[in-house]
Amino acid sequence: MSVSDGSSVLVAADGAATGLPSRALLWLFGSFAILLTPQLDRLPIWLIAACLVLAGWRGAAQFGHVRLPGRWLRTGIMLVLVAVYIATVQGRFTVDTAASFFVLAVGLKWLETRTVRDFYVLFFILAYLGTVNFLFHQEIHWSLVNILAVALLLVGLQIINAPDLPGSVKAGWKRLGLMLLKTLPIVVLLFVFFPRMEPLWSVPLVSGQARTGISDTMRPGDISNLAQSSERAFRATFGGQLPAYRDRYWRGLILDYLDGETWRQSERDPLQRPGRVALDGGVGELETGEYDVLLEPTDQRWAFALEGSRAVSSNVIEESNDLFRFRRPADTSVRYRLAREDAGNQARESLTYEQRRRYLQLPATGNPRARQFARDLRTQYGDVELVRALLTRFREEPYFYTLRPPTMGENGIDNLLFDSQRGFCAHYAGATTFLLRSAGIPARVVVGYQGGAPGAGGDYLIVRQYDAHAWVEVWIGDRGWVRIDPTAAIAPSRIESGLRDAVADEGSFLENNWASPQRYADIAVIQWASLQLDRINYQWQRWIVGYQGQTQMNLMSRLPGGFGMRELGYLTAGIVGAGLLIAGLISAWQMRRGGSRDAFLRIIGGWHHLSARAGVPVRVGETPSTLAARLARAEPAVAESARLFAHSINSHYYSDGSSAGRDRELKRLRRLLQTMKKQLRRRHSTTGKRS
Amino acid sequence: MKNQVSKRWQRWVNRRLPRSDVQTFSQKNIFILPTGAGVVFGILLLIMLITGINYQNSLIYLVTFLLGAVFVGAMHQTHRNLSGLQLALVQPGEGVAGDEVPFRFRATAGRDDAVAILLSCEEFSLGATHIRAGQSKDMTLPVPSAYRGYLRPERIRVETRFPFGLLKAWSWIRPVSPGIVSPRPLAAPEVTSTVEAGEETEQASPATGNDHADLRPWREGDPSQRVMWKRFARNGQMVVADWEGERGSPHWLDFNAFPGADYELRLSYLAWLVNERERTGARFGLSLPGQVIEPDSGSTHVNRCLRALAVWGEERPRDAVTERHGSRRQKSDNAAGPSRRRA
Repeated sequence: MSVSDGSSVLVAADGAATGLPSRALLWLFGSFAILLTPQLDRLPIWLIAACLVLAGWRGAAQFGHVRLPGRWLRTGIMLVLVAVYIATVQGRFTVDTAASFFVLAVGLKWLETRTVRDFYVLFFILAYLGTVNFLFHQEIHWSLVNILAVALLLVGLQIINAPDLPGSVKAGWKRLGLMLLKTLPIVVLLFVFFPRMEPLWSVPLVSGQARTGISDTMRPGDISNLAQSSERAFRATFGGQLPAYRDRYWRGLILDYLDGETWRQSERDPLQRPGRVALDGGVGELETGEYDVLLEPTDQRWAFALEGSRAVSSNVIEESNDLFRFRRPADTSVRYRLAREDAGNQARESLTYEQRRRYLQLPATGNPRARQFARDLRTQYGDVELVRALLTRFREEPYFYTLRPPTMGENGIDNLLFDSQRGFCAHYAGATTFLLRSAGIPARVVVGYQGGAPGAGGDYLIVRQYDAHAWVEVWIGDRGWVRIDPTAAIAPSRIESGLRDAVADEGSFLENNWASPQRYADIAVIQWASLQLDRINYQWQRWIVGYQGQTQMNLMSRLPGGFGMRELGYLTAGIVGAGLLIAGLISAWQMRRGGSRDAFLRIIGGWHHLSARAGVPVRVGETPSTLAARLARAEPAVAESARLFAHSINSHYYSDGSSAGRDRELKRLRRLLQTMKKQLRRRHSTTGKRS
Repeated sequence: MKNQVSKRWQRWVNRRLPRSDVQTFSQKNIFILPTGAGVVFGILLLIMLITGINYQNSLIYLVTFLLGAVFVGAMHQTHRNLSGLQLALVQPGEGVAGDEVPFRFRATAGRDDAVAILLSCEEFSLGATHIRAGQSKDMTLPVPSAYRGYLRPERIRVETRFPFGLLKAWSWIRPVSPGIVSPRPLAAPEVTSTVEAGEETEQASPATGNDHADLRPWREGDPSQRVMWKRFARNGQMVVADWEGERGSPHWLDFNAFPGADYELRLSYLAWLVNERERTGARFGLSLPGQVIEPDSGSTHVNRCLRALAVWGEERPRDAVTERHGSRRQKSDNAAGPSRRRA
C-alpha cells in the first residue's frame, strides 16, 4: 500500500469500513431480513426499527455514503438500545425476552462488521437466530424460510472465501445444493435415530405475549371479537367417523363466577412453575373413538376435549368437571390424545352444598327484570320444564344471533333479554346461566369451541378461533350436568354448519379480516389451496415437528430387536461413522478412477512408475520416445521393449482411434509393460547375485 | 518433548512429500483440519443441539443435522479443491541475500476447479488464486532468503479454505531446484590501487614499483593472464606470478584484495563492486579462489559474476539431502569450502 499517495491513504482509512466485499455482505443482509420476518409479530416495533436502522447504516457505509460509528458512538448506541430493552422488558426473563435480546445483539453487531472475522461472527449469530426462530414458528413455510436464510448465509460464506471468483453465486448455490442432496440420507437417518433425550434442564418458553384465543374470563362481546380471527386453534384427527357437526362441542374451561358483567373461574388455576409442556402425545394408530388433537400454542394449561372424553396420552390429565389440563402451559404446539366414552357411564354424584352454592352464585344486585322473570318461571315449572321453557322462548321470540351486537350498558342481561334481543353466544350463554341461577337451578358457562371444518381429504377437523363458543351446563338432579345451548335455539345454523352460515345474512363473517383465506371460502381455488396448505402443515407438524421422544420410541419399538435410548445412541454413532466411511470410500474411489479414466493413461502411468523405479523419472513435457531412449540408456535390458512401447503409444495418439484397433493396442501395450517389468526384475536379480 | 514430536512430524511429512519440482496433491499428501471458524462452528452446532434437546424441538435437531452435514460436505469439498492440483516449480528465483527471492510456480488444476488456492512460504503468502479445471496458472512467490548461496525452501505451503472457510486443506511442495542468492552488497573499502591509470595491458606483468611477486606453479582456475607465458615459452612450465600490485587493478575484482576480511564480507564487497561496475558500464573480471571470470561487461556478465559470488564454496543441494530450509549443514561437511560466519 502506498503511503505517499494521499488518496490511497484515504481509501485505506475508509477500507476499514468497507473491507468486506459487498457481494458477500449482501447475503448476510438478505439472510438477516429473512430471519427477522418470522419474528415480526413478536418483536417490539422499536426493536425492528433499530435493527433495520443498524443494518441499513452498515449497508450505507458499505457504499461509502456514511462512516461506521467510532468506538464511543458505538458504545453509546449500544447503551441506549440496551437501556430501552431493559425498560421494555421490565425484568421479565423469558425465552421471548431473551430472543429479543439476541435479535438486538445481532443488530448491534452490524455496526462493527469490518473484518472477515466479524463476518464469521455475524454468520454464527445469524445461524443461531435461525435456530431461535424455530422456537416460535414451526410451520412448514416458516421452516423453509428459516432454512432458506441459513442457505443464504452459506452462499455468503462461499463468496467471502473467493470474492473475486466469477460466477461464484450460481456455483455456490449448485455446490450447496449438491452437498445437501448428497448428505440428505445421513440427515434423514440422524433425524430418525438420534435419541430424543429429556431436556437437560428446565427452560420456560412462556412468552407473556398476548395470544389470540379464548381466555379464562368472559365479558359480553369477548368471543365476538375472537370470531373475527381465522387463526387456527387446533386440529383433530379421529379414529373412525368424524362426529356430527352439532356434536362438536370442544370443552375448554368452566366459568362459574359472575363478577358484575364478567364471568370468571371461581377456582383460579394454581400458579405454575415455569417449565415445558410434555410433547408426547401418544403414538400408534388411533383406535375407534380415540382422537388426536394438535393444539396451537396457547400459553395456557387447558386442553380442549369433546364431552365425555378420557385421557389416552400421558401429557394431559383429567381434572374435575370433565376438564383436561396439561401439566405446563402449552408454549408450543402440543399433540394429545383422548378417547370418547359412551355417554351414561359417567359417575353421577350429587352436588355438595359447597358446589351448589358456587353454581348458584350471583352478584348481589343488577338485572332486576331478569331476576323477576326467573322467579316467575320458577313458580310455573320444575327444573327440566323451566329449561325447556327458556329454550323455547329463545327459539320463538325474535332473538337475533349477531356479530354486531349493540352495547348493552348497565343491566346488560336485562337489556339483551327484553330490549335489544340481539347478541352473540357469549351474551346468550351468560344470560341463560344468570336466569337459571336466579331460578335456583345450578348452572355454569362453558367456554371452548364448537364446530370445526374438515381439512383437505376430510380426514381431520380444523378448528379456528371463530369457532370459539360459549354455552351452558345446567344441573338436572337425576341426569347430572346437561349441556344446553341457547345459541342453538336462536341460530341453529351456527351449531349445524358454523358461524359463516349463521351470520351469512348479516355478512359480518370475518368482516375485519380481509386477508384471511377463510373469508373467501366461497372461491373454490382459494379454499382448495388453503386446505391443501393446511394438510401439508398438519402432516409436517404431526410427523416432523412432533417427532419427539415417545413417537420415536414407538417407531423404534416396531423395528426388530427392542430399541432403547442406549441402542439409539449406538445406532446414531454408527450412522455417523458409516456415513463418514462411505463418503471417504467414495471419494477415494473417485480419486483412483480419476487417475485412470483412460485405460491408456493408466498403462502409461504404469510405465512412468516403472521408469521412475529404474531411476529414470519422467520429465515434464517429455515425449514417450525420449523417455524410452533415456530408459534404454539406463537399463539396456529393456531398450527394445521400451522403444516398442513408446512407438505404440505414439501410434495410438496419432491414429484415428477406431475401437477395434484400440483394444488390440491396449493388449499390446499391457504385454510390453509386463515384459519390461520382467526384464527389469531379471536384471536386478542377476546383478544382485553378482554382487 | 514438543520439539521431539514436531521433529518426528516433520520427518513423517517429509517422507510423504519427497523433494520434487512437481507435486501432485492427492489423498496421500493432503492434510485437512478445521480452522478456528470451523471449531467455533462445531461449538455452535453443539449449542444448537442442546437448544433442540432442551426445547424438544425437532426442527432444531433437523437444522443442526443439516449444518453438520454441510460441515462434512465441506470437508470433502475442501479436500477436492486441492486434490488433483499439480504444482510445478517453473523457475527458481535469483536475488540478493536478505531479500525475498521470487520463485515461479505453475499450478494446474485437475478434474475439479481449484478455487482460492493460497501459496505461502514462511510469512509470505500470495492472494487467493482460482484455477479452472484442467487449466494452469503461474504464480510468483517471494521466498525469504537469509544467506547467499543456494536457496531451497524447505517447504512451500499450498492451502485452501474454500468453500466455507471452516476447514483448511493444505500440503507442501518441497522443490528440488534451488534458487540462487547473491551476497548482499556492502560498500567495499577503497582498494589500494597500485596499478597506474592508463595501463591497460591484457597481459599480466609486474607493475612498476612492485617489489614482490610470488611465483608458484599453475593451478586449475588461475587466470590465464597471470601465467608467466614468457617462462612457459622458455621451459614449458606454467608458472603463475602473484603480483601484490595486481590486486588493485580496476579491471579485476579480486577475492584476495581484502586481506584480513571475513570471506563472506569479501563476497559482499565484491558484489557491491560488481554492481558499481555495472552502473558505470566498465569492463571487469572476477577472480575468486578456484574460479576466474574473464573481464567483460553487460548484464549477462554481471549476472554470471553475481551467480559465481552466490554459490562460491557452496555445493548444489542434492535431491536426497533434506536439510531444513536455511540451515547450512552441508557447509561443515564440505571440507574444501571455507569456514564461514553468518553474513
